[in-house]
Amino acid sequence: MSDFFTIEMSYNTYHIIFPRIILGILIILGLILLAANIKKVVGKEGNGVSFKFFTENYDKLKLYGTMILLIVYALALPRLGFLAASLLFMFAITLLYIGNVKLRSIFISLSNSLATVLIVWYVFGNLFSITLP
Amino acid sequence: MPMFEVLTPLSVLLCLFGVLIGIIMGSIPGMTATMAIAIFLPATYALDMINSIGLLIGLYVGGISGGMVPAVLLNIPGTPSSLCTTFDGYPMTQNGEGEKALKVGITASIIGGFVSLSILFFFAPVLASFAIDFSAVDKFLIVVFALTVIASISKGSLLGGVFSGVLGVFISLIGRFPDNNQIRLVPPGFEQELVYGFSLLPVLIGLFAIGQNLQESEEGLVAASHQKIDLAKNKAKQFKFRIFKGQFVNTVRSSIIGTFVGMLPGVGGSAASITSYSQAKNFSKNPEKLGKGEPEGMIASESANNGLIGGALVPLLSLGIPGDSTTAILVGAFLLQGIEVGPLFITTNPDLWSGIVFALVIANIAMFIMMFFSIKYFAKIVYIPKHIIFPIIMLMCVVGSYAINNGVMFDVWTLLLFGLVGYIFPKVGIQIAPFLIGFILGTQGEKYFIDSLKGSGGDLTVFFTDGPLAIGLWVVIIVSVVYAVIDNRRTKKAESAS
Repeated sequence: MSDFFTIEMSYNTYHIIFPRIILGILIILGLILLAANIKKVVGKEGNGVSFKFFTENYDKLKLYGTMILLIVYALALPRLGFLAASLLFMFAITLLYIGNVKLRSIFISLSNSLATVLIVWYVFGNLFSITLP
Repeated sequence: MPMFEVLTPLSVLLCLFGVLIGIIMGSIPGMTATMAIAIFLPATYALDMINSIGLLIGLYVGGISGGMVPAVLLNIPGTPSSLCTTFDGYPMTQNGEGEKALKVGITASIIGGFVSLSILFFFAPVLASFAIDFSAVDKFLIVVFALTVIASISKGSLLGGVFSGVLGVFISLIGRFPDNNQIRLVPPGFEQELVYGFSLLPVLIGLFAIGQNLQESEEGLVAASHQKIDLAKNKAKQFKFRIFKGQFVNTVRSSIIGTFVGMLPGVGGSAASITSYSQAKNFSKNPEKLGKGEPEGMIASESANNGLIGGALVPLLSLGIPGDSTTAILVGAFLLQGIEVGPLFITTNPDLWSGIVFALVIANIAMFIMMFFSIKYFAKIVYIPKHIIFPIIMLMCVVGSYAINNGVMFDVWTLLLFGLVGYIFPKVGIQIAPFLIGFILGTQGEKYFIDSLKGSGGDLTVFFTDGPLAIGLWVVIIVSVVYAVIDNRRTKKAESAS
């Protein structure tokens, strides 16, 4: 590189010029951020300032439950088809959010699941003819 | 052009439907106008452009306006742009003036909507015709400017904002570079799925809707505190248009502030609302009353956040740069229809341009009529339990992501991946908005960058020597960065002092 302000342009490498520059900027920014944060932590040592990722007393069941249900739903879609997978997913997640298994909650979950899935299936799948899983 | 030559009856109907749904979604705390549009975006796949415009504009106007309902009644802004509505709206509710507050807000909203619409109508074509002559260098610098502004406005650490924006650009580069058809940055094994990179829509709704959803479930979906709303029966506390007497200057000033804040790329609705509220306080005859339940404050906040809508559409329709996260999603809607937004948009699509303007007119009027006369019923929406709403949102997100490219399972995984990203990023101090704008503008930025270098034979100094406009843009970029640094210091000082 004879001149700092010149970039060699060749057709075969067009696609890596910009990503390289951006990656460079990212790494520099990341290092500065890291340095700033380390300084902050070291500076505040003894004050008992510690980084908390989760809010206090966070709802483990609902948080992880949501994540797991979403993943299971995505896995189930191609295998069970849209209607079955969605009905199960909606039922399970509504029940999870209500947070108990009383008869009333099961009824609410069931109706929320049935109503939503059937409406979505009809309006999107049939009326708008959008491809459903 | 006569209105009904452009708008089909279906598009008017969809617009009304959009306003209604928008108001409902905006009224639910935790649901934003952005999310409302994101969820309905896949539905536009089956519609043609003019009909989708009707629906989306309706959702936008309805969603922003609906945000005032929980702000006034529960002290929770339904959408970030109604932040300052809580300052005076909630005290009014506590005084038994809830209905009056809402009606003041509704009236202010429609005025804000129309002021910004007229600015959009006259300003966007002028800016666009000016922008047609921009060179690749200018365009690249505009993208850089958009990114610096976003980073500087976004709350929290300035560095974090810049980092987030650049990261968004980086992620957007994954896939094929159209110029020479080479694939880069694709992890081995995903060559097929990631040829075109991540699709915009699953990334968008993942970041906003799923991320928010995970956040809410972490907090255990606590229901909004139930409170009896006393919608005034008392005659003295009822709404009269006379309240607006003497508020003319305030209303128009706030609308204009909202519009111009909206024009700055990447600046969100909360900034519009805060700026006009503080101006209203500066100019008020009795500033000490503001924040204790004065209609004046309601007017400032609500006319500004509806003014924002027209403003945010200006850079989108004239430069192709989204004004906020909501208009960023509109870019997705245009792309779905194969229409590129940019300086040529208005001249090449005159029908769509007038369609947008007419849809805004209809949406604003519809919003006013619906909300003004049935606000009592909309007020009940704030109590719909989250355990009913959130599962529905998630289902819509999955269906939407799957459908967007006509049935690609990988898009659902993209949705979940970016949902996780949208949940984790805010926790580690990386703001989502800059990331999103970076993601949207990244490929454009690269194209203009390479085009500029092709023209100069690889000489980087071209970015400084291209012409007066390039130098002007550099000045603006530097000013925005310097302002951000100063502002950041000031906020930090104020924080450590308190």
